[in-house]
Amino acid sequence: MNVWDVVELARHPERPYSLDYIKRLAPDFVELHGDRLTADDPALVGGPGTWRGRTVMFLGHQKGRNLHDRVGRNWGMMHPEGYRKAIRLAQQAAKFGFPIVSLIDTPGAYPGAGAEERGIAAAIAHAIMDWFRIPVPIVAAVIGEGGSGGALGMGVADRVIMLENSIYSVASPEAAASIVWRDNTRKVEAAEQLQLTSREIVAMGVVEEVVPEPPGSASTDYEAAARSLDAALYRHMQPLLATDPAELLQRRYDRFRYIDSLIGAEPHFGPKID
Amino acid sequence: MAVIDRQSAGVPIAGGKLPEILLPTNCPGCGVGLDREGLRAQNYVCDCGHHFRLGADVWIPIIADEGSFQERWSGIRSHDLLTWTVPKRYEEVVDELLSEGLNESVRTGTCTLNGKPIWLAAFDFGFVGGTLSIVAGERLARGMEQAASSGLPYVLVCASGGARMQEGVLALMQMAKVNAALGALHRARVPYFSVLTDPTFGGTAASLALLADINIAEPGAAIGFTGPRVIKQATYADLPPGFQSADFQLSHGQVDMVAPRTELRPLLAHLLELYA
Repeated sequence: MNVWDVVELARHPERPYSLDYIKRLAPDFVELHGDRLTADDPALVGGPGTWRGRTVMFLGHQKGRNLHDRVGRNWGMMHPEGYRKAIRLAQQAAKFGFPIVSLIDTPGAYPGAGAEERGIAAAIAHAIMDWFRIPVPIVAAVIGEGGSGGALGMGVADRVIMLENSIYSVASPEAAASIVWRDNTRKVEAAEQLQLTSREIVAMGVVEEVVPEPPGSASTDYEAAARSLDAALYRHMQPLLATDPAELLQRRYDRFRYIDSLIGAEPHFGPKID
Repeated sequence: MAVIDRQSAGVPIAGGKLPEILLPTNCPGCGVGLDREGLRAQNYVCDCGHHFRLGADVWIPIIADEGSFQERWSGIRSHDLLTWTVPKRYEEVVDELLSEGLNESVRTGTCTLNGKPIWLAAFDFGFVGGTLSIVAGERLARGMEQAASSGLPYVLVCASGGARMQEGVLALMQMAKVNAALGALHRARVPYFSVLTDPTFGGTAASLALLADINIAEPGAAIGFTGPRVIKQATYADLPPGFQSADFQLSHGQVDMVAPRTELRPLLAHLLELYA
């Protein structure tokens, strides 16, 4: 399987989306809406549900299944209101001590005029900074596309895992091609350069684990994919539940502060500060 | 119109003599032939108000008192981690830029501004479009951590296209790395002033650039998340004139003020006193 095959699997229209997983993990899930400022962003779903015997706050990018839904969900591309909703729900989770599960599946934040007018850059920036102060365990999973700052805005967590046929990238292959060659049709070449498959990302030390998908990919068997994700999420969540909140935040800080220090087998990098 | 009515008396508009930069023969703003020396004495701002783009080598002497800049971590460089070959080998790109005298997309260190000690970080758009890289992120995060522990106010000059493609997802992670340190800076109650110059976009805008206590944009600077070319490609929208300009960001609540470069230094000196 070449790199572009993986990109197509990650974007497959039959691939399970966040709600397909959340409803299997927590059948009593209650969806909550709105950022309490201006609007609700349907590209991000969120709310509490019972998972493994406790209340958990679920968040996830949501794509639509048919044309009408796709438009309604904006292809999983969040507006500023989505990031503000996410942080509102994260703070609510912190208030009640609920751990957080964040499912990532977005081509990126919405690249449109309205998002710009309402401050998408600052909304993502605030979300990324605020996640570091949410004193409850957070496990994030890339379940399809992990595109750019739009994904990272939901991806600051204590553990980050990736489904086998998902991708995580600094920019979508199309955007990268447009930046490198000013030609977004060279997306396949760009994808090959970006090293965006789960195996490459785990090798860079950016995620903790690659979660196996059923044979033929998650699209072919939702139940098996959900069981696999459930087990992996719990394996990573369990030790966090016993961790003191102050230590949890310090470790989350260190996780991202020194995320490239693996590279730093070279003396230039790493945690030592002169 | 002046941004502040009573500027700190006698604060020069630059800390020292600025180096010469490559300039066109005529101003792209007004078309008039350029007086190079006159322009240099005005921080490279034309009489018509056009602000020329500057590298870190010019920004540092604008902000820092002469001879006060102590550069830190200038010896770390970028390496090709992804075996990037298009359109050119990444290692070669970096070698070439280093040989031209540039030193990564962010340079940082301590200095004084009108006698007050500060941390200064300046992006350099000439180095792969001022893109956020592992080295840039490391210099920014280390400086913020040191400013948080020493209490020195942090001054940032932004000029960046976003995260660096050639470092892949590790470049993306710099947004989280820098914002983690930035949160610590804010919790240490250290003043943070961000000067947004042309252009400030992408992962830089969506991490440290807009999260200052005071965001100061330069006149005419384009500031946003997604660039206009990509917005048009993605949405087929006609963007109004002035979309994502400094004034647009002021009216949309994203920056505190738009200040000309000739008033910036007295303004910063004044703010450093107010937030001391």
